[in-house]
Amino acid sequence: MRGDRGRPYTSPHWVTDAWSAVTDDRVVRVVVDAAGGDNAPGEIVKGALDAAGPQLQVILVGDEPRIRALLPAGVQNVSVVHAPEVIGYNEEPATAARAKTGSSIVIGLKLVHDGGADAFVSAGNTGAVVAASVLYVRRIPGVKRPAICTIMPAMPAPVAFLDVGANAEVRAEFLRQFAIMGQAFAREVMSIPEPTIGLLSIGEEPTKGTPDVIEAHQLIANDERIAHFYGNIEGRDIMNRLVDVIVTDGFTGNVGLKTIEGSAKAILGALKATIMWSTKTKLGGLLLQKDLQILRDALNPEEFGGALLVGMNAPVVIAHGNSKARGIAQAVRMGRRGAVSDLLPTIARELGTPGTSV
Amino acid sequence: MTREEVFEHVKGILVETLSVDEDKVTMDARFQEDLETDSLDLVELVMTMEEKFGIKITDEEAADIKTVGNAVDFVMTRVDA
Repeated sequence: MRGDRGRPYTSPHWVTDAWSAVTDDRVVRVVVDAAGGDNAPGEIVKGALDAAGPQLQVILVGDEPRIRALLPAGVQNVSVVHAPEVIGYNEEPATAARAKTGSSIVIGLKLVHDGGADAFVSAGNTGAVVAASVLYVRRIPGVKRPAICTIMPAMPAPVAFLDVGANAEVRAEFLRQFAIMGQAFAREVMSIPEPTIGLLSIGEEPTKGTPDVIEAHQLIANDERIAHFYGNIEGRDIMNRLVDVIVTDGFTGNVGLKTIEGSAKAILGALKATIMWSTKTKLGGLLLQKDLQILRDALNPEEFGGALLVGMNAPVVIAHGNSKARGIAQAVRMGRRGAVSDLLPTIARELGTPGTSV
Repeated sequence: MTREEVFEHVKGILVETLSVDEDKVTMDARFQEDLETDSLDLVELVMTMEEKFGIKITDEEAADIKTVGNAVDFVMTRVDA
């Protein structure tokens, strides 16, 4: 892992620079849901254009006339597919995914399933993206539940955190599978060769936690596919990066993620207010300005663009609903990274059921 | 197609697509309570059945399918029709 020399923490750029630097010749086609998210389609199209290149072909799906109006004349490496419908934030995910076959999410995911694209990115209704992915892209055979795996800012370097919202309720066996998929994600997407895995609980002892967490601890500890199981970790260990991969259920993960995001924002806000307090503190802030900007970037969730829905037959990236162009561009790069890495074959090998097909 | 053949197809979908344990799949097995499937699993099952048997299942009809036996019987009425 590369760090900023001498700094007490690592800028997230070490992860994202690796995605931006295309080191292979493969051309990857990434579908971008131009209708999903608070800032659609303007910021979505802008971010997609930033990420597009000869080895990253972007397919924008949404209201074609609106998208075309945002594209510069003679734009390269970008195509548009029309989708007349949109799945809104308040719609019931599975029902909408089944019924709204003209939506940008369903059309985009079908394109991936039919071989017309390699990865999918959306900042739209998370539940609908998960449901439509399961229905149209399908799970890797053997995967009981897909999980949303995010790269989360932590000190001194980012961590992989799953599940942050796909499954509110889980069984012990699902948590075991999340550990295996998280390990593959850390190795293949984050380039951590020997990741350590921690199970989020309310105490370090294996007997602490809900019955499912206690059972999951035993399953993970005795599973040969998981190379380095640290054991249980607690909430306070997340940001201090006691482990490389944190495993939990989608309810706890989502609450944890948002608590940390909100805390980071509040602390940075307080820091800024402190710096602006007086002439003396302003002078101190001026001296630290560049270093504080690096710290702000290290805590900025948008730097990673989105989270990967692991366990599917293709990379599906779920971006923040309020993503701006930078977040979308990074999410598109994560889609490419997911497609060129060995993430999917690794999960298929470790969780796959031989002799079955979708 | 006989009832047994339809059962084998439904069982295949449950095991291969939804990773349900094979020995738990009986005619009496209830999707939610016995096979521990969730609402998304059931939509996936319904869509896969539509594909496999070439039939249409409305949301209302799907809501009445609560056991493996219900699913098999539903397919029998459509395949014979």
